[in-house]
This record gives sequence, structure tokens and C-alpha cells, in this order.
Amino acid sequence: MSILLTEEQELIGQSAREFAKEYLDPIAAELDHTGQFPAAIVKQLAAQDFLGLFVASEYGGAEAGYVSLVEVVENLSRSSAAVASILVNHSLAAYAIQRWGDAAQKQAFLPALAAGGTLGGFAVFEHGPTPGVGPNALIATKHAAGWALKGTKAYVRNAGAADVYVVLACTDPAAGAKAQAAFIVPAKAIGLSVGPLAETMGLKGCPVADLVFDDVVIADSALLGGPTDGQTITTETLALASVAEAAQTAGIGQAAVEHAAAYSKTRVQFGRPIATLQAIQTLLAETAADCHLARLGLRCAAKLMDDGEPFLVEAAMVKQFLARNGAKLLIDTVQVEGGFGYSEFMPLPRLFRDIAGTTLLDAPADYPEKTIAAALLA
Amino acid sequence: MPKLLVCYKWVLNEQDIKIRPDDLSLDTSRAKGKISDFDRNAIEEASLIVEQQGGTVDALSYGTSAVKQSVKDVLSRGPNRLLWVGDPSAEEADAYVIASVLAAAIRKNGPYDLILCGEGSSDMFYQQIPARLAALLDLPCLTFVQKMTLEGGAVTALRKLGDCTEQVSVTGPAVVSVLSEINKPRIPSLKQVLGAAKKPSEEIPIASLGLTPEELAPKAVRKSPKGFLMNRKNVVYKESDAAANVAKLVASLAAEGLR
Repeated sequence: MSILLTEEQELIGQSAREFAKEYLDPIAAELDHTGQFPAAIVKQLAAQDFLGLFVASEYGGAEAGYVSLVEVVENLSRSSAAVASILVNHSLAAYAIQRWGDAAQKQAFLPALAAGGTLGGFAVFEHGPTPGVGPNALIATKHAAGWALKGTKAYVRNAGAADVYVVLACTDPAAGAKAQAAFIVPAKAIGLSVGPLAETMGLKGCPVADLVFDDVVIADSALLGGPTDGQTITTETLALASVAEAAQTAGIGQAAVEHAAAYSKTRVQFGRPIATLQAIQTLLAETAADCHLARLGLRCAAKLMDDGEPFLVEAAMVKQFLARNGAKLLIDTVQVEGGFGYSEFMPLPRLFRDIAGTTLLDAPADYPEKTIAAALLA
Repeated sequence: MPKLLVCYKWVLNEQDIKIRPDDLSLDTSRAKGKISDFDRNAIEEASLIVEQQGGTVDALSYGTSAVKQSVKDVLSRGPNRLLWVGDPSAEEADAYVIASVLAAAIRKNGPYDLILCGEGSSDMFYQQIPARLAALLDLPCLTFVQKMTLEGGAVTALRKLGDCTEQVSVTGPAVVSVLSEINKPRIPSLKQVLGAAKKPSEEIPIASLGLTPEELAPKAVRKSPKGFLMNRKNVVYKESDAAANVAKLVASLAAEGLR
């Protein structure tokens, strides 16, 4: 047993790895090429209980916790970070509903989210620099019978594929970002439409698009938490995103390191395999060490979540570490493989594009250094 | 309702075993354990039978103390209960000793309607355990099985032979060893993994099996296993004329005796 993983968590990681080898390795390159949403794979994720991974058992989830979540995400990402990205964004919606939902909301949404009958999405970002500010901000206006949502959410992942979204909206345009509330909005709500799919650099197959709200009327029961809880919900849920995406980054990096190491043993230059060259060994050793350290950090943050401890600072540290080192993992491994590694018939270009997504997207509510420094200087 | 037993071996994952280049000895210091490959098929087949017909499956293993690591992994794949004999003697055990221990454990916990095994283990691949077990338990033995049914206590099996197959049936308890093509082992879901902790497992002390020192003494003694490294010639043909390169390659292969 690992010092950081229980026997069950190791087995869960092993199951995810077996699943990824069996079902994701054969389709990963094609998914990257076509960008088609892998609906059949998502059903298989549900059959493995991955979609209800940390959802409480009373709602049909596996209740396996957040360390198990990052184990699954990392092991899926070693084969297809795009599929892992679908799982992560689904999990953000499930997390928000489980964490802040009332009993009726949990009963209404969590069983289907856990079983896979419903796919979730988490809609926070807008085209303006700050949610709630600017001409396209999503504004929630209170009516006697509920709320009316008007505006646009941007860069929403699982957009168009999700059946339900957790949406952040501004309840007071004058207050802007300071007046945010979260709502549970079914994808089939009247007035809600999905914009054109965005052409992304990587993570292809996990759809990204705008959600356009044209006076979408929802009941009071759609409000998640209190009317001023939006910022808290966003901050904590995006911290989970930082941890889960760090697991994606570690998985992609691990796949790249293993591929480059295997390549270096077969590629002969100067009459010997390049694996015998110190420069190559240094690149491989540094990338392997970065993956290992990232893994320790993200498991630590996930363990804090399992224990119900504060985890925002540790999540920010993981985000910061991989923002600096994530892309370098791929730069170095491509360097090991040289011209071959640069070629599209090798997997590293896909991994390169994917790791850019996992380190850039779903930025935390504040830049990570601010969160870390605030804790230090408080 | 049938009562089934499946035997399995907890082996080192061959992908984790490194070969030391200086003396070709095996470095197993970072090798993790796994269920032997064919045994996963046996576990799956036993579990499928019980899921379709009812009944129970016990899993049984003999190994060093490391076999305890296999408990939840095996139980997550279907069996209802796990029995294991953990003893240092397993380190040097040959097929004779392994079969003796398993047979004694089966006598102690049986009888069983059907005993399934993998065709051979991933590490030693003796392919002797099923036949030896059958002999010790005085049961019929069906080996190389790639398809099977259990109906009314009768086993009908399709055996894969060298260049043909044969269908065989036996009535009553039997030992069956399966090939990998018999099924596709399941990947345990999270709930199956977590549910494994709730299933019973029991260590059987080897002393309780009533085996004599002679039965625990290996007949075949294994000595210093060594790795095999393929040395590539690393020859590159650099003629600008592709046909000339091919001709040189063909000549080289012919000189090596490949025709």
C-alpha cells in the first residue's frame, strides 16, 4: 500500500488504468482528430461508477472520495485527457449540488448525475474580464415566481452534451462581481441555447461553447445555496477544478515521460541508444520528478477535501506548480524524441495540446499566488 | 445451486521486473503484485456462472505473505469469499507443493461442484496445477478450455488443441483449466472495489492442512532465474538507392540463415 493511498484507492486507480487501456487507448487519437463528443465512452464511465465517484451513497454514488477522484482522473488522462475533462466538468456540477444543494435539489439531481443518466456542466466564465461585468454578463432578475436569466456564459465545457448546468449569475448589475448567485439550470430550459462549438487547441472531444440565456425563467428552487453564495461556490468549486486538472496534467505528463523513455531506448544516435546520453537522462529525470511532485501535491489537496479540511491554499499551490511546469513536461519530452516526437503520427503533439488546456483552463477565482500569499500574510 | 472454487496465483507484474545488464539477474524490488493473467479468466468464468445460475464462488490461493495483498482485488472481481494460505514455503514451492497445498485446502473447505484454474501462471507457467489437483482430488480434468457451460451438474467444454478443437462433457465435480479466449475479464467498478471490503476472507494456516514435510518439499528446485536481453545489431543501410539498401538487407538476412 502506498503511504498516500489506501488499498481501495490503489485498486480504484488500477481499475481506471485498466479501463483506460481497454477503452481509451484505441480511440484517443481519433477523438483528437474528429473532436466528436464520445457519448458511448461516457456511458461506460457511468457503468464504472466514475460519474458518481464522490457522490454520497444515499444518492446512488460510490462515495469513494476525492483522492479516488484524482486517481481516476490521472489514470484516464494517461490515455485520453479529453475524456477525463468531460468527467472533471461533470464532477464540478455534482460537487456544487452535493455541497450547497438543499435536500430537494440533491434528491432531484444527484441520483441521475451519479448514474450517468444526466451529464453535468459548470458555467462560470464570461467574455468580460470578470463575471457579472460587461455587456454580455449573465444577469439574474428576481420575479415573483422565480428568476429570469439573460446574458451569456463563455467557455462552458460539456456544453451541448450536458443535461444540467450549474450556472453563476449576477443578481445586481450595479454590484457586478460582488453580487453572484448560483443556479441549477436544465439544458432544455426554454430560452437556453448553445453557441457554436469552439475550435480548441486540445482536449478535443470535450465540447466547449457559449451558453446563451434569452430570458430563461427558472423557479426559486433552482437557486443553489443562498442568493449571495455564488462567489463562495465558484471559489471552492474552481479549487476542486484546480486539483482535478492537476491530476489531468500529471497523467498527461506521465504518459509523455513513459513514451519518451521507451523511445530513447530504441532511438540510436552516435552508435548507441540516446537513453545512454546524460542530456537525455536529465530531461527524463526532471520530467519524471515533476510528475511525482505534482502527484504528491494534488493527492494532499484531495486528502484534505476527504477529511473536510480547508484545501483552497493547497489547491492553489498545485495550480501554481503545474502552471509553471506543466507545459515544460511536454517541451522536454518532445525534445527527447526530436523530429519524430514533433510528428503527428506520434502521440506527443496530442499530449502537448492537451496539457496546454489542463494548465490554462478553469483558472481559479483569483490567481493562485494571491490565495497562497493571503494565507501566508493573514 | 452450484458451489464453485477458483484457484489463482498472486504473481509479480512482469512489466515491473527489470533485468540487471551486468549479470542478467532479475530486479524485482519495485515489482508490484497482480492476479496471474489466465487466473483472471478463471475468476471471471466462475463469477459469470454464478451470476447466471446462482450459487457461490470461493477463491483460493497459496503464496507468501504477499498474497494477502490480493484479497480485495480478487473479491472485487466477483467471488463471494476468499481463502488464502500464506506461508514462506511458497517462495520455493514447485507445482508438486502448490498442488498439494491447494488440494489439502480444498478437502478442508469443500466439497465443490466445480474447480476452475487458469491454464498456467504468468510467472512459472508450469501448466501442471490443474492436472495435479485433479489427480490428488480424484476428479476428472479438462484442460485448454476456451468455452464451457455448466448445466445440471454437467460440464460441457470446448477444448482448444493444436490445430483443432474437441467438445467434452463430464458429470459431477471436475477441475477445469481455462484459456484467455474463454471470456473478457471485467474491470471492477468503483462499487465493486468498495464492496470487496465487505466480503469475507480467511487465512488458512498451513499447519492446519495436515501436510507432511515431504508434501511441502519441492521436487524441482529453481535456481537463479536470468533475464534474456535481445541484442540489436543496430545496422543502418545508408545507400541513396533504396533498392540497394533492400538488397543489402536481404543479403544480410540470408547470411544469418533466414531464407
